[in-house]
Parts: sequence; structure tokens; C-alpha cells
Amino acid sequence: MNTSSLSIALVSLFAALIAVFGLIPKIDLPLGVPITLQTLGVMLAGCMLGPKRALQALLLFLAAVAIGLPLLSGGRGGVGVFFAPASGYLIGWPVGAFVTGMVMHMLPRATPRGAAISAFIASAIGGLLVVHVFGVVGLVNIANLSWEQAIMGTLVFVPGDLIKCVLCATVVHTVARGLPDWRFGG
Amino acid sequence: MGSLYSDHLTWLHGVPAGVKLAFLALLGTGVFFTQELSVLIGSAACCVLIFASLGKATARAKPLLMGLVFASVLIGMFHLYMQQPLVGAVSVLRLLSTTLMGIALTLTTRYTDLLKVLEWLLAPLRWIGVQPERLSLHVALMLRFTENFFIVWRRLDDAHRLRTGKTGGFKILAPLTIHMLIAARRVADTLHVRYRR
Repeated sequence: MNTSSLSIALVSLFAALIAVFGLIPKIDLPLGVPITLQTLGVMLAGCMLGPKRALQALLLFLAAVAIGLPLLSGGRGGVGVFFAPASGYLIGWPVGAFVTGMVMHMLPRATPRGAAISAFIASAIGGLLVVHVFGVVGLVNIANLSWEQAIMGTLVFVPGDLIKCVLCATVVHTVARGLPDWRFGG
Repeated sequence: MGSLYSDHLTWLHGVPAGVKLAFLALLGTGVFFTQELSVLIGSAACCVLIFASLGKATARAKPLLMGLVFASVLIGMFHLYMQQPLVGAVSVLRLLSTTLMGIALTLTTRYTDLLKVLEWLLAPLRWIGVQPERLSLHVALMLRFTENFFIVWRRLDDAHRLRTGKTGGFKILAPLTIHMLIAARRVADTLHVRYRR
């Protein structure tokens, strides 16, 4: 199989997966930041595709949102979402996916169990830590919060995101058993 | 999947997509770098007037507007509670200006036109191996996959409900991912045969 065509298919596919996760209803928290399943897509893209393809998948998804497709949870889309208080999280998604992929690539993933543990660590670093750092920067700059207030605000999401890391690890474990030839982390 | 574009034609539909994007980029940068309340009030008032001038075309944007109002009220109330009314006003005015113009751009520009502008903006990256013309193929494939996988998700959920009497929820996430990865390999083969790359 040609790697270029596989790249096109995988990048589009994971962008679509994140869009599908957006069809599942969101929960709005104070400061206008929603809890969505789409961050799970960021973690899965990093673990499954590796850094480069995961970055491309998330950039493609955000480009599709920017041109007006209603792909974010709650049917949101358009350039306007990049000026909202939660835009820091959105901008953090590609970087988070890239870091997740990079960490996954560096950790052991030969056995399903090893891949699952690596996926948990990689998603906690890339999909949780990195995305939240960008989210906090966004809250400070757009909602004009102080650093302390923004960090306290983002901590509300951490328990939910840790559950998403566990879900990501579970999916990776099942995929490692179902598709033994799949190369996690690229 | 439909875009948020409104078929109800307005004066803004006639303005080229590149000009609208450039205006939005300038506005976003401008309001970000000023703290002057009078400038921000003027900017927000202009943006509200421009948005209101779109008339019936704005009907499609109701959910987006509700989200904007919700976020503005929360931010405003939070800063009032923290006894920083000026900071709250600056944040809300910036949010109103940029988000309203972002929504206006989305409502009045076809996504194919924005795609062309994006491809044009990406063209200088050709020298590092980026192929801007692939963006259209990627977006088309992504939309096809989105519809397809939503159907697969519903089928898996129905099958799970028939077996157990409960909705699938997160339990069908792993089978869905495996279905997707297998489908991606098939699509990659097809693309390779068709485009020889």
C-alpha cells in the first residue's frame, strides 16, 4: 500500500472521527467553555497516527471548521469560534495531538497492554496537559482572567479529561488486539 | 453535511472572500491590541450594525448567537463579581466584535470560496512539500467519512441495544475505531489505484 494515499485516508478519517464526536451533545460549563468528546479524538489521533499525521488531521479539522462547516459540538463552526473564550483549547488541539503522537512513538507499544499504558501516558501529556496550557493562555488573553483564575477554571475539566485518557487507552488496547499489525504512534 | 452559509443574499455576499478574511484578521488584531473603551465600543457598535444589516440571513446563526450571548454574560458577570467592570467590558466588547464578524463571514461566504483562499494562502508552503490542492480532496473525504461513520456508529449502537437492551455509549468506541481503520486502508488502496500516489 502506498504511504501517501494511506496518509490522505487516515488524516481525513481522523478529522471525520473528531467531527463525529462533535455530534454527541456537549455540556456547557461556566466561562463559556464546553465539555465535549472531541478532545478524546485529539488523544486517539495522536496515539493511532503518530505526530505528523495527527497534526495534519487536527489542522484539517480546524480548517474545515474555519471555512464554516458546523463540526464543533453543538453544531458550531466558522471563523468566529476562534475568537471565543475556548479558542485557546481549539488552537491547542493540533499541538496536543502532535505531542501525544510523539510521546506514544517514544514509549513501548509492542504488546496490547504496553500500548494501552503508553497511550494513557501520551494522552495525559499531549491531550490533557498541552491542550490545557493552550486553553489557559486563551482564557487569560480573551476572557481577561488572571493566571490563577484561568488555572482554577481549567482544573474543572481535568477529571473528565482523565476519564478520556482511560477511554483512549481502552480503545488502543482493543485495537492492538483486533489489528495486531497496526503501528501505534506512526 | 451542510455548511452554515445562508442562501438569503445580502450585500456582504458580493464582497470577495479574501477581502472579508483580511478585514476579520485586521479587526481581530486591532481589538486585541487596544484597551481604549471608546474605540472598542465604536468597533462593537459597527460590528452589530453590519451584522444587523444582513437581515434574514442571520436566522441560521441563532445557536451561534445564543452561545455568544451566553459566553458574554458569563464573562461580564464574572468580572463584575471580581470587581473589575472595566476589564469585563473590554473582554465582552472584543468578543462581540470579532465573533459577530466571524459569524457574518461564515453566513455570507461559500465554503468552496474560503477553501480557494486557504489554498492560495498555503501556496507559499509548496517549497516545503505542502500540496495546497490536496486540501479540497481532504475536506471532501472528511465529509464523506463523517456521514459514513455516524451511520456506522448508529448501526453499532442499534446492534448493542438489541443484544443488551442498553445503549452502546463508550462501549462501541473501540469497535467503531477498528471499523474506521479497516475502511481507511480500503480507501487508501482505492486512492492509490486511482491517483497512483
